[in-house]
Amino acid sequence: MMSVLLILLLLIPAAAAVAVACLGQARALLVRQITLGATIAGAVIALVLAFGLLTQRTDIKRDTYSPTFVPGSTAENPHATTWNLIDFNAGRDASTQKKLGAIQFYIGLDGMNIWLIVLTAILMVSSVLISWNAIDERVHEFHAWLLLLGCALTGVFLAFDIILFYVFFELTLVPLFFLIGIWGGPERRYAARKFFIYTLAGSVVTLLGLLAVVAVCYHKTGDHVLTFSIPELVTIFNNLLRSAEATGDRAFFQSFQFWVFLAMMTGFAIKVPLFPVHTWLPLAHVEAPTAGSVLLAGVLLKMGTYGFLRLCLPLAPDASITIGVPLIGALSVVGIIYGALCARAQDDIKKLVAYSSVSHLGFCTLGMFALNSTGLTGSLMQMINHGLSTGALFLIVGMIYERYHTRMMGDYSGLGAKLKGITFCMVFISLSSVGLPGLNGFVGEALVFFGMFETGKVLAILGTAGIILGAWYLMTMLRQVFFGELKEPHVEGHEVRDITPREIAALAPIMAGKEIRTRSGLEISSYSSCSWCPSWTIWIDHDPPV
Amino acid sequence: MFDFGITCLWLIPLLPLAASVIIALFGRRWLPDQCHLPCIAAAIGACVFSVIAFSAVASEPQPIAFGKDLAWISAGDVKANFSLRADGLTAVMLVMVTFIGSLIAIYSAGYMHGDPGYPRFFAAVSLFLFFMVGLVLANNFVLLYACWEGVGLCSYLLIGFWFAKPSAATAARKAFLVTRLGDIGLLIGIMILWTHSPGHSLEYDAVFAHADKYPSGVLFWACVCLFIGAAGKSAQFPLHVWLPDAMEGPSPVSALIHAATMVTAGVYLIARCVPLFALEPGAQLLVAGIGGFTALLAAVIAVTQTDLKRVLAYSTLSQLGFMFLALGSGIHFGEHKLAALAVTAAIFHLFTHAFFKALLFLSAGSVMHAMGNVIDMRQFGGLRKALPITHWTFLCGAAALAGVPLLSGFWSKDEVLVSVYDAWKHSPHYGGTYCLLFFSALFTAGLTAFYTARAYFKTFWGEEKLPPEAGHHPHEAPPIMAWPLRILAVGAVGVGVVLGPTHLFAKMLETRWAPPHLAAHPPGPNVVLMVFSVILAGVGIGLAYWMYVIQPSAAEHLARRMATIYEFSSKKFYFDELYDWTIVKPITILAHVCRIVDTYLIDGLVDLVGMGPAIVGYLVRPVQNGLVQFYAILMALGLAGFLLSVLLR
Repeated sequence: MMSVLLILLLLIPAAAAVAVACLGQARALLVRQITLGATIAGAVIALVLAFGLLTQRTDIKRDTYSPTFVPGSTAENPHATTWNLIDFNAGRDASTQKKLGAIQFYIGLDGMNIWLIVLTAILMVSSVLISWNAIDERVHEFHAWLLLLGCALTGVFLAFDIILFYVFFELTLVPLFFLIGIWGGPERRYAARKFFIYTLAGSVVTLLGLLAVVAVCYHKTGDHVLTFSIPELVTIFNNLLRSAEATGDRAFFQSFQFWVFLAMMTGFAIKVPLFPVHTWLPLAHVEAPTAGSVLLAGVLLKMGTYGFLRLCLPLAPDASITIGVPLIGALSVVGIIYGALCARAQDDIKKLVAYSSVSHLGFCTLGMFALNSTGLTGSLMQMINHGLSTGALFLIVGMIYERYHTRMMGDYSGLGAKLKGITFCMVFISLSSVGLPGLNGFVGEALVFFGMFETGKVLAILGTAGIILGAWYLMTMLRQVFFGELKEPHVEGHEVRDITPREIAALAPIMAGKEIRTRSGLEISSYSSCSWCPSWTIWIDHDPPV
Repeated sequence: MFDFGITCLWLIPLLPLAASVIIALFGRRWLPDQCHLPCIAAAIGACVFSVIAFSAVASEPQPIAFGKDLAWISAGDVKANFSLRADGLTAVMLVMVTFIGSLIAIYSAGYMHGDPGYPRFFAAVSLFLFFMVGLVLANNFVLLYACWEGVGLCSYLLIGFWFAKPSAATAARKAFLVTRLGDIGLLIGIMILWTHSPGHSLEYDAVFAHADKYPSGVLFWACVCLFIGAAGKSAQFPLHVWLPDAMEGPSPVSALIHAATMVTAGVYLIARCVPLFALEPGAQLLVAGIGGFTALLAAVIAVTQTDLKRVLAYSTLSQLGFMFLALGSGIHFGEHKLAALAVTAAIFHLFTHAFFKALLFLSAGSVMHAMGNVIDMRQFGGLRKALPITHWTFLCGAAALAGVPLLSGFWSKDEVLVSVYDAWKHSPHYGGTYCLLFFSALFTAGLTAFYTARAYFKTFWGEEKLPPEAGHHPHEAPPIMAWPLRILAVGAVGVGVVLGPTHLFAKMLETRWAPPHLAAHPPGPNVVLMVFSVILAGVGIGLAYWMYVIQPSAAEHLARRMATIYEFSSKKFYFDELYDWTIVKPITILAHVCRIVDTYLIDGLVDLVGMGPAIVGYLVRPVQNGLVQFYAILMALGLAGFLLSVLLR
């Protein structure tokens, strides 16, 4: 039952995308309605799955990654699938030769991806609603690409097969390329091209790293297992490491991990984005239509952090400790401070929010490379928090832009007197973004710092500068745009109205999410620690942290 | 009875929270003019329950701990529950916060009447009460930190309440950022304690029981970091710059948040953590030194301010400095255990200060109300006749602040001085410093009397002078504002004599709060000191009377004679300018440098790499020139080169 829902989660947006594309330009309203329907259905399914997973928590095996609700699983092994996409045994004589693996359609849920799935589903709904009036040319194409993007993003988080993961990972580029390149701002072509080539160049290197792991697992194991399943690869690889430890054959694996880590890091770091490979992000954000920005910041960047979490840490555990902690830790801290400073110096609100993403994602990677369950949990929560906060910030910037057609902070002052509803939402979200207790940012941020403090005190203390700098640029923006004496840019023709019901509907799920998050923060944290940390201990116990 | 007590304790934070939610959700639509009702009801309810809790605590030998099982965060090694506690210290704070909060909520109903943001105001005030009682009830550091940030948020919202006023919006941002700077210190301090505490516990009891087992350097830095947090919240030097600007908020807010309650959170934090601080004389010296210095600095500034509320704001800084000075004197040397005594003195001063300073701010608010929002003392004067009630209540508060004998400020200030004196006498290493601090505190006490009397005389004595904004008939506070003033005046006058000389307060704190190893003998009154401070207060008041009533030209004359000092004092020692030039501007410039580097250097490199293929293409393009002969030559040359290399190998 649940596994059917899981497939529907991918199938509904894909089917809706095809349907919408066929409808054509003329029936724009129907296109919008279908898209909205599909995304709402997706959100409902995602929530049902989340509740299902939480109630089945005891079912999760504690010794390894073990996705639940896997479609195509068998009774004896509910955590693996039998649905092959490319079977390497086809045409071979099974009796004489060893059995090879297959590239499988292997998707499932666990504590790490469930909240990202929910996040994607919710932000999809908001994206559709915010585009209701903003997009009025080639409506059907826009929504088709949007749905396809949603499908691909969901697929990345669901995939438990390494090739499937990579396919979805790259598939996200195509819709976003068109979304930015067709419906974007004045420099949209340049932005779209840069975004596409930059992130593609990185992820090609990542693919090399992934394939290297598969190859090594194939060659180094005694019975030559060829597998693309991530849980299996993790188990095999860690067994290999352990036996290498026993036979004193560590040198190969040390250098192998080093290169694998660097290769994977290349793609994921660009995606996150870590300093200094972040420059595609502000450009893409500023040029993208609001819906694109929301998904880009809210979900797409999380593919990078999720990739680190899902693949980099388990498949290069020693390298994560020896080079990951100092290198990525330092880059994160630099990113936190540098991103915040850049955000402070922007005149364009959208660019400010874009740079704030660079800063906030630094918290995610900082917590992750604390390499303890405190930091990892904090990092995971921070991913969700950032998705909600920044998604909402982009929504509001979009709303203001829609009203006044300018994003320069200097053009505004004292909007609070006129747009009460929007101001309330903006203050609320900014406060949550700077991590005030009771709103969602606090727990994640605190956990990140507590976790990192145990691993590297200096990094944690330097990182806390982000707390004050983050407050500084957001408060300055609020001060400039919403407080003070009223000054509006001149608009022709129509009266500027406060927040509309449609916009409330776009923001509502996010705001609601923000308020329940602290409570369910407890759920996610205990949840992820039960599904995740045991597998960390698997690879940690053969090499004590430096 | 016990369970009833627990229920009461739960209701203390929950009532204001409920009120806040109700006002926020339904206020604007259903009770636009009655938004004060839920807030007042919740505050009074919380106050009643606080009194019940107080008596429950007084009858229990152990602190009442509850809420331990209600999980909040549980991730990795960080575990925090909604665990709350009630002991002597908490009970005292609770009663003070909710009592003053109730009175100020009632006063605000009159003061804020007709403001378009009426619902917003009461929602924020209720929320503030929730966070504030949560802060004093918390039994672990994470919950404390959460509430700590929460009160900061409410402070931000209320300072910027009139957000259309640019100065208010700027002041709100400044307050938020400066206190947040301190909060980082607090966070780091908590992390240090967490790293070394047994089982990574963050509960107070576990951390404090472990206090003597922390490595010495670690404990010192933990204390310093906690104190940075306290200094930010309680506006101590060098993080004091936000509090005077915070007076841009409505006067009831200045009274409640920026005088009586929130700014004392830092004092509360150090008092709560005294089991840690008592073991670190170095950290205590820092606390006392900063406190004493801030007290003096703020008093000197207060002398020349012309804005009545700013005088009171600097006075708040100064009095908070006194509290820290007392706390910092709580050290342990052999058999001289001064910590409990010091905490009693500090919290007693906090308690009395809350009464008279809230009273002073509300009276100043009443003046402002009557003067059409003018608060510059140069523009009005001689208001004795026009505002009789306000005059009397202000006088009560001012006298208590100045240290007039038998009023509340007199008793508590005396206890503060006694504890500093004891530290001077008993400290083996830092005796000299404490001696200096003691005399500076005496001098500050004299200054306090002077500037308080100055503000009083300038406002209420002399010829009657009204600003044009006031109209011709200044209106005295309506009953809804006058009654809270009267009640607070009674408190400001009487609370000291009831609690001080009878040692009721000391007993409550020491037996219900102090860990056994901190217990100390109750202090005897130091008569010599009392006489001294009475003389100082008399001199200060007399001088002010002479300068501002008898010989009004003397003040200006003196200001001309001491032009440099006057200039420094009236310009607040240029701290705002100093910070602007040394911190804000450089970071802003750095931010712009970062932006330029990002746009041109980092992104430029990326574009350069991106141009790589194009450049390579451009370079090798001439090779493909379409001439068959050229290709043939190249082929021949290539072949020759290849053969040559093979043959010569």
